[in-house]
Amino acid sequence: MSDNRRTGVIRDYDLRSKSVRVGLVFVYLACAVIFLVAVFPIIWVILAGFKELKEFYGTMQFLGNKSFLPKAFNIQYYIETWKDMKFQKYYLNSLWSVAGSIVTALIFNGLLAYGLSILKPKGHKIIYSLVMFTLLIPGTTFITPLFANLNRLKMTGFFTPLWLAAGANAFYVVLFMQFFDSFPSSIIEAGRIDGCGPFQVFSRIVLPLSKPIMVVVAIYTINGAWSDFLLPYLVLDNKYRTVMVKLFEYKSANQTNDLDVLRAVVFSILPPIILFFFFQKKLTENIVTSGIKG
Amino acid sequence: MLGKNSGKYWIMKNNLMSWLIILPSVILFAFFVWVPMGESIVMSMFKTKGIRLERYIGLEQYIAVFRDPNFLAALRNTVSYTLWSLIIGFFIPIIIAILISETTRMKGLLRTVSYLPNIMPGLATVLLWRSFFSAKPSGAFNVLLSYLGVSPRPWLSDAGIIIPLIVVILTWKGAGATALIYMAGLAGINPELYESATIDGAGVWKRIWHITLPQIFNLGSTLLLLQIISVFQILYEPLVLTNGGPDNASISLMQLLFNYIQNASSIDYGRASAVSVIIALMLLTFTVIYNSVKKRMESYE
Repeated sequence: MSDNRRTGVIRDYDLRSKSVRVGLVFVYLACAVIFLVAVFPIIWVILAGFKELKEFYGTMQFLGNKSFLPKAFNIQYYIETWKDMKFQKYYLNSLWSVAGSIVTALIFNGLLAYGLSILKPKGHKIIYSLVMFTLLIPGTTFITPLFANLNRLKMTGFFTPLWLAAGANAFYVVLFMQFFDSFPSSIIEAGRIDGCGPFQVFSRIVLPLSKPIMVVVAIYTINGAWSDFLLPYLVLDNKYRTVMVKLFEYKSANQTNDLDVLRAVVFSILPPIILFFFFQKKLTENIVTSGIKG
Repeated sequence: MLGKNSGKYWIMKNNLMSWLIILPSVILFAFFVWVPMGESIVMSMFKTKGIRLERYIGLEQYIAVFRDPNFLAALRNTVSYTLWSLIIGFFIPIIIAILISETTRMKGLLRTVSYLPNIMPGLATVLLWRSFFSAKPSGAFNVLLSYLGVSPRPWLSDAGIIIPLIVVILTWKGAGATALIYMAGLAGINPELYESATIDGAGVWKRIWHITLPQIFNLGSTLLLLQIISVFQILYEPLVLTNGGPDNASISLMQLLFNYIQNASSIDYGRASAVSVIIALMLLTFTVIYNSVKKRMESYE
């Protein structure tokens, strides 16, 4: 935001009034509060992870020792929790689940959107309405029969159902469709006149132009697959459990101490946060232009 | 190659090819979404044993759900979650959006940071907040309050405030992302509207009331509907923070469904399906009423 012109309710000419200038100070103060509220819990949990148990629980016992800052930034505690909880295994499982989901999410949702938005074969409108209908229906309400069917077909245990489920995401289809709809029809026509069939139009024209939207869908998929809990919890075998499934075990965790839970929370939020800071511009811009959030 | 006679053949051939391209995706959607949707309705009318359908029993599952004392509590709480989220969750994103839109310096940073909570995994945030609001004196919120001289309280086991507290947590996670959508709407307001209002003598507050808010009204009514639909399906927060307690004070409808699928003592897929059909019907009815009221209001204008 290098552009410093005022674009909101308060216009440049309003700044001549003293009360507006004072008001603007309050606006910035309020924004500072928003900033603090948004980051404080995240900073707090990371700092708490550096503490040892006595230090963490003792914060109230001695006046003057209520600090949120740890006495020392000792990464050792994090390393110990990582090893004790065998987090490496859960991280790897989550990575597997995420990697496969990206592939299916891009291929299947992308191809469906290509069909609905560019090819438009006879009868495509039925499929289009069904996809739109899917957006309206709460996703969690058909989990029971899905779980039963997966069991019946003996598809539970491995990541396969999670991967395939990522290929049927109405929200991603709509994202792809919005992107494809913005193609000028002349470039598609040009391909057709050159004798390209639907496959060649896709591989020679649509695919090379689609990198921006593929990045956006991939980021949403990474975040979605990493954070997903309900389906992984229901279908995955013990040895394939993901980070989120592991976290859920702490629901009634009396055997683990609070700090191990908090460090596990840090492990689980770091990848999305890092990803977010790399791609935040793409994501926030996409929300601003498409008007939908994941 | 495209002779007059071959045109029809090409379209037909390409229609077939096009269907072949989308067929795998259609099958996935059918398997993961559309078929289970239909099966949910069928399953809810059967007595089930494990995943097996035993026999048709009509609406008995629904009657059993309605008679379940947990259902009444869950329904009451779910409505309460939704109402609280209207009071707390609906206005805060609008306020955040208007405030951030008024800044010139650090606008990008503010947008990014307010969006940050939204990318954190839901389950992780809930565990974070459980510790944050811990009843122990070491709970971060109790420590914060101790600076103000307030004595520690068991926040999560207070039946009177648990639902608004969970809604605050939901709002913390979602408000920045929703605000981002409002900011896009605010940026689209024609500046000439503000300028001509100023010439008519309207101050900043009057402009917000007569221009800004009416201009984002449509966006707001859509986001309100989406918010109600998502809060109505709240699951992780009560499940992990309180396990529905204290004494069912925070159990939600989705949690009831989760218990029917997962709790060894109450496992019953037929009944779980009945709950999911009830949730879907309520939301569909609500959406239809909401949209028709909205349409009527628009036609009066």
